[in-house]
Amino acid sequence: MEIKKLAVSSSPHLHSQNSVRRAMLWVLAALAPASLFAVYYYGFYVLVLLVAGPVVAVASEALILRLRRKPITAAFDGSAAVTGLLLALNVPAGASWWLVVIGALLAIGIGKQVFGGIGHNPFNPALAARAILVVSWPERMTRWVGPGLVSSATPLAEYRAGNLVPSNFDLFFGFRPGSLGEMSVFLLLVGGITLIYLEIIDWKIPVSFIGTVAFLTWVLPREGQTAFFAGDPIFHVLSGGLILGAFFMATDWTTSPITKRGRVVMGVGAGIITAIIRLYGGLPEGVTFAILIMNACTPLIDRYTLGKSYGSVRGAA
Amino acid sequence: MNDLKVFWRGIFDENPIFRLLLGMCPALAVSIAAGHGFGMGLAATAVLVASNILISLMRRVIPDSIRIPCYIVVIATFVTMVDLVMAAFVPALHEVLGIFIPLIVVNCIILQRAEAFAAKNGVWRSTLDGLGMGVGFTLALVLVSSIREILGSGTLFGIEVLWFWQSFEPMRIMVSPPGAFIVLGLLIGLINFLSMRKA
Amino acid sequence: MARTFVGGVHPPYRKGKTCFLPIERLSAPKTVVIPLLQHIGGINAPLVAVGERVFFGQKIGDSDAPIACPVHASVSGRVIALEKRAHPNGREVLSVVIENDYADEVHPSVEPKNMDDMSPADLLQWIREAGIVGMGGGGFPTHAKLTPPAGVTLDAVLLNGAECEPYLTTDHRVMVEWAEDVVLGLRCLMKVTGVKQGYIGVEVNKQDAVAELRRAVASARDIQIVPLAVKYPQGAEQQLIQACLNRRVPKGRRPVHIGVVVNNVHTAQSIAHSLRTGLPCVERVVTVDGASVERPGNVLVRIGTSFADVLTERGLTSEPYKLLSGGPMMGIAMHTPAVPVCKCTSGILALSRAESPATEAMTCVRCAWCIDVCPMLIYPTLIAQYGERGRTEEAEKYGALECHECGACTYVCPSHIPLVQWIRLAKSDIYARRNRG
Repeated sequence: MEIKKLAVSSSPHLHSQNSVRRAMLWVLAALAPASLFAVYYYGFYVLVLLVAGPVVAVASEALILRLRRKPITAAFDGSAAVTGLLLALNVPAGASWWLVVIGALLAIGIGKQVFGGIGHNPFNPALAARAILVVSWPERMTRWVGPGLVSSATPLAEYRAGNLVPSNFDLFFGFRPGSLGEMSVFLLLVGGITLIYLEIIDWKIPVSFIGTVAFLTWVLPREGQTAFFAGDPIFHVLSGGLILGAFFMATDWTTSPITKRGRVVMGVGAGIITAIIRLYGGLPEGVTFAILIMNACTPLIDRYTLGKSYGSVRGAA
Repeated sequence: MNDLKVFWRGIFDENPIFRLLLGMCPALAVSIAAGHGFGMGLAATAVLVASNILISLMRRVIPDSIRIPCYIVVIATFVTMVDLVMAAFVPALHEVLGIFIPLIVVNCIILQRAEAFAAKNGVWRSTLDGLGMGVGFTLALVLVSSIREILGSGTLFGIEVLWFWQSFEPMRIMVSPPGAFIVLGLLIGLINFLSMRKA
Repeated sequence: MARTFVGGVHPPYRKGKTCFLPIERLSAPKTVVIPLLQHIGGINAPLVAVGERVFFGQKIGDSDAPIACPVHASVSGRVIALEKRAHPNGREVLSVVIENDYADEVHPSVEPKNMDDMSPADLLQWIREAGIVGMGGGGFPTHAKLTPPAGVTLDAVLLNGAECEPYLTTDHRVMVEWAEDVVLGLRCLMKVTGVKQGYIGVEVNKQDAVAELRRAVASARDIQIVPLAVKYPQGAEQQLIQACLNRRVPKGRRPVHIGVVVNNVHTAQSIAHSLRTGLPCVERVVTVDGASVERPGNVLVRIGTSFADVLTERGLTSEPYKLLSGGPMMGIAMHTPAVPVCKCTSGILALSRAESPATEAMTCVRCAWCIDVCPMLIYPTLIAQYGERGRTEEAEKYGALECHECGACTYVCPSHIPLVQWIRLAKSDIYARRNRG
């Protein structure tokens, strides 16, 4: 056999099966159980929201890429779909469909594409959009409902008001009001641990984030009280968007530190901010703003947490 | 450059807000409602035209080494006049704009036009330049504040404009500072995008 | 418990086709092309002229450069050309072209040696004269590695039998079939350096090699077989030292600076072989594999045999998409099959498009997988991004010069960015800047 033409390229000549799309499909899969639980708990209407988010996100990403004259295939790499789904999972069950549509548009348009698209956004797009929605339509974004869309209050709001909260069992398995995606801690853990096992996300962020919240809510007294070491860390870990945020949003590749130590700093920082907002802030829940603030700190964290290289040993000259 | 061009470029090619990115501070702060933006624009225009005329007249007698303090004195004089006039005749608007009227003194557009144009050109052209820049500034402010007012309050110049859309719920972020940044940023982006296409 | 290093990846090993096949001798070709540069260092000057008859094992090139190693004729015959020919390193290198007379008439100087009768200095001289260089792929002259810089006492000789590159089974077969020679070579290296303790690091997927080596070492205490975890790049010098000795080589230094000598098992075997027979390094084992190869296997090839000759003898089933010299992670893609097998050619891989797919690079999404797998604990994506923009100072700050181009980062990158390529560019820019001023 005669050899006529040979391809020449830089080594390595093997590549893993990894791709952004593959990782994003895994994230979608990991979010699926918790999403389906929301549909089961609240009813069919929720499915409309959960489908609208990704569809609008992907469509608007494709449109903007078209306007920017970039290949629109990038809209289908799954990252826009993940953003859209996370946004939908971050609204209460009683939310109107248009909240999700506008949110998905904002997430892709203002959260991601204005900065140059995938890999360039400084803030988690879904959370940036959620923050805009919360500021714009505060009563709609806090219109919590129970099954059958009966209005109700979240455990964290009840807690702040000093009312009775659901049992830890109900919190763990998700039988309580809340945003669509934060309900079932159990199913979120299943998804999150799968992603950690697949090495798509780093365990350091969720562990340090949740650990810090648990520690601080245990040690620090609630507003108006003075007793230290009397908090209820289990309640704080299980309620609100902590698990969803810690596993699926604080770990967002683009907006979290790339250094190993930096990820711990990110988790601890987000944990401190969350605990302070929950215990003393003006809002019952602080995960969104905690993560957004740490996103803003990410470049700085990276700069100051560079690790030592292999060759940086004593005696190096 | 003919006289017409001197006037027009302030509105389009060298629009202070969208092109020169000058005077962003009032543009972001007072653009909550179209009326505020319009009032702010007119006040700045008045000062701009008047200071351009005076500085152009005095351009040969102002010593070069202390020209900036001189400009500031001229500008501050006119700002004080405008401030007092507004307090007398439009007290409601004066109340709303508050500190941003005195702050026109340090508005970069006015100082920049004084330094870059009025100090080197005749009275007639300086007047046209001040007028053009003032109109451009006013139009930009009205544009930003109209968008913010419609989305954030559902009104324009205080008039209900979305009467056909009964279920409209105002997007409240638009009347808060982040809304100003988002609208202004997107508008600048849009204008750059359109001019890039043309080029 | 298998020992290992920090970071690394698990590429598909694809060694199954060749790892059980015994080494076969490839017939000597009609002509051999022997490049005068088969090592890192100064190029040799030719010692023969066109038309001259040369013997098997005759020295045909040598140099006075401090780091250099002579080359020898791998067949007997007539020198028909002395010209620049394509070299596996991608450039054209002055080479001696010999027409084989199939007589294999051995040079009169060739006679077996006895290690026990030779002093360490004699042995060191012999290692140079025999043309022994690092046969794992590096090609650093072996004798130059054995002399410690002032103030350093050597205390460990490490043989590298990790062979972590996919496809390659050269060292594996050498260890299985010539375990005695490997151990003898190690003893020779220990005698030269005066080191009392030798180690042979072998990845645990080569249990037969471990067994053969243990048998060859028998009850001797001075040589320890170290089982290593199966992970890429376990066979990189720095990673091997970290795994076996739990030491690190400081930035910009070589293993000798921390008292360690690392050699490939095939290098040790070649030393032993040259002592036993008196023949210099004139042949080596090469893994021939890839989907386009009809009969993959490990072949003992005369140095200077062209890739084309090897592939013709082993057969091609289809036109290969890529032809590699070395393994798929660090090997170099050849632009022509006319290149010769050199002393450091560990593999000839004729890969199909499916085995080595071309991928399109996308934007970095900051997943940091490249950082997680980097065995040198540097920041590949940052170096690549700064390197791409010509910002050499930042590239250096994030560790560009420590990169030994193992390719683990590029292997895992989900955005398919050719990180190694950009890092190489950054490194050459850094050196260029230094040389300027």
